[in-house]
Amino acid sequence: MKSAKNVNFLQVNNEIRRLLAGEGVIMLPSSQAYRKLKWTRDHFETKPEEGYFIWVKKQISHPLTTCIAISSPKISQNPRNLIVIEKDVKTEVHSICNTLKKNLYGSHIGHTKVILKEQSTLQMRHFHKWEKGDTVSSSLQFHLEEGAKLSHVYKCSAVPEKLKTELNSFLDSSSSANIETAVLAKKGNINMYDSTFLNGEGSSATMRVRMVADQDSKITSHSKMTANNAGIGHLDCMGLLLSENSSISSVPELINRNKNATLTHEASIGRISQDVLNYLRSRGLTEDEAIDLIVTGFLREAAFYYKGHVLPSKIYM
Amino acid sequence: MIKIENLSVKIHEQNILKGVNLEIREGEIHALLGPNASGKSTLAYAIMGFPEYEVTSGKIWFEGKDITNLPIEERAKLGIALAFQNPPSIKGVTLSALLKTISKQTFNVKDLPVSFSEILEREINVGYSGGERKFSELLQIINLKPSFVIFDEFDAGLDIINLEKLTSVIQDKLICNDVSILLVTHRGNILNFLEPDIAHVMLDGKIVCVSNDWRKIWKTIVRYGYEKCKKCEFPSSKQ
Repeated sequence: MKSAKNVNFLQVNNEIRRLLAGEGVIMLPSSQAYRKLKWTRDHFETKPEEGYFIWVKKQISHPLTTCIAISSPKISQNPRNLIVIEKDVKTEVHSICNTLKKNLYGSHIGHTKVILKEQSTLQMRHFHKWEKGDTVSSSLQFHLEEGAKLSHVYKCSAVPEKLKTELNSFLDSSSSANIETAVLAKKGNINMYDSTFLNGEGSSATMRVRMVADQDSKITSHSKMTANNAGIGHLDCMGLLLSENSSISSVPELINRNKNATLTHEASIGRISQDVLNYLRSRGLTEDEAIDLIVTGFLREAAFYYKGHVLPSKIYM
Repeated sequence: MIKIENLSVKIHEQNILKGVNLEIREGEIHALLGPNASGKSTLAYAIMGFPEYEVTSGKIWFEGKDITNLPIEERAKLGIALAFQNPPSIKGVTLSALLKTISKQTFNVKDLPVSFSEILEREINVGYSGGERKFSELLQIINLKPSFVIFDEFDAGLDIINLEKLTSVIQDKLICNDVSILLVTHRGNILNFLEPDIAHVMLDGKIVCVSNDWRKIWKTIVRYGYEKCKKCEFPSSKQ
C-alpha cells in the first residue's frame, strides 16, 4: 500500500501488518485487548478475532490512521474495533476500509464502537471504497459522555453491489455530534440506518446525509433522531439522482419525548437543475465536467474537497 | 467580432425575437436598451446558446464563424461570456473551486478596488448580496479571458458606489484589453460609467433604433418612456 508508512494500524485480509501507536496511545489487536484489559469485554459484543483497540490517553498532535483492506480473493473479514478517547483529550482518527483489486469477492462485516469520555473531542473520517463483487456491512456506535464533541464523516466513494451501514450515536448531557454521511452509488444497492439519541440535557446533534445515485442504483436511507431529554437535533437529507433507472428513498424520523427538546428535519431528492448546468456550461465546462463539479460539491461536506480538487466523475472522491 | 443576422427566436412556442440584426466590432461597447420583456435577455441567452432558446431563422456569426448551432460551452471556449442578471445558486461548490476549474488567467483578487474577496470560499450565489453576485459574475468573466462579454442588467441590484467600482474593473480588465461589450439594460445607470459607442433600442423583439449618440436616446427614454421609441424621433437612426 502506497501510504502504509503513515498508517498506525494496517490489517490486510485477516493479518495485522502494522501496529504503531506512539506516545499517549495504547493500540492493540482487539483480541489482545479483550484478553489483557478485562474492562474492554463490556464493549465487545463477542470475543473479537480481528480488528483494533485504540485507547487515546493523552493529547496527540497527529491523526491516527487505520486501514483494513482486502487484497486476496474470497476473504471474509470480521473486524471488531474499539476506540476510547480519555477525558479532555482531543484527537483525530482516519479510518479506511477498502478492497485493493477487482473481482476479489470479499466480505467485510465491521463493527466499531467509539467511547468519548467527558469533555473529549474526536474528529473522525471514515472512508469506504469497494468493488462490485464485495459484500459489506458496517456498524458504528458512538457513546458521548458529558460535554464530549464528535465530528464524524462517513464516505463511500465506490460501493459494492450491496452495502448496509448502521450508525448509532448516544449523547449524554451537553455533548454534541455532527455526523455526515455521503454515498455515491453506481450499480449498487445501499441501505443506511442512522440513529441519534439525545439522552442528556443540553445535547445537540446534526445529521447530514448526502446521496448520489447513478447507473441503476438504489439507495434507502433511514435517519432517526430521538430526543429523550432537552436537546436540539436536526436531520438534513439530500439526494441527487443522476440517471433515470436509479432511485433514492429517504426516510427521516423524529421522535421527541421531551417538551423542551427541538427536532427538525429537511429533505430533498432531485436531479441537477438545468439552469445550473447551463450556467456552468456558459463558463466553458462540458455537461460531464459540470456534473462532476456539482456532485463533488454536493458531497463536499464529507469529502476530500477541502483539498481544493475537483475529482473526475469515475471516482468523485 | 459578432454579427447577428435576421435572428428570430422562440421559447416554449412563443416567438420572442423577430428578425434582429446587430453587429459589434472588436473593442466596441454597445448598449441594448428596452423595457422589461422586450426580448433583451432572450437575445443574450440566444447568443450564449441556451438550448431552450430556439433559433427559428437567422444566423449568429462570431469571428467569421457560424455559431448558430454551437453548444454553450463551445461558444464560451471561443471567447463569448455572459454575466447573468440572476445567476443560480450552486450549493456545495465554492466560488474559488469554480474559478480554479474555469480559469484561463490568474490575478490577485485583492488588487481589485472592491472588497468582496471573502466570497471566494463561500458557495456560489448562496446568500450573496446584490453586490456580491455581480462581483462573482465579473470575477468569473475576467478569469475566462473572453473577447466578447454580454452584461445582462449588470446595474440591477447594485448601489451607485459599487457600480462605479465594478465598472472601473470592467474598464481596466476588459475594455482596456479591447474586449467587445454588449450592455443589456433598461435602467441605463451603467451607461454613465461605461459610455457605449452605439446604443440600440429593442421593443417587442425588434431593434427599433440604433444610434451612436446614446445620450440623445437615453434622454428621450427618460423623458417620454420607451413608448416614445415606437414613434422614433430619429428616423436616420432606424434600422
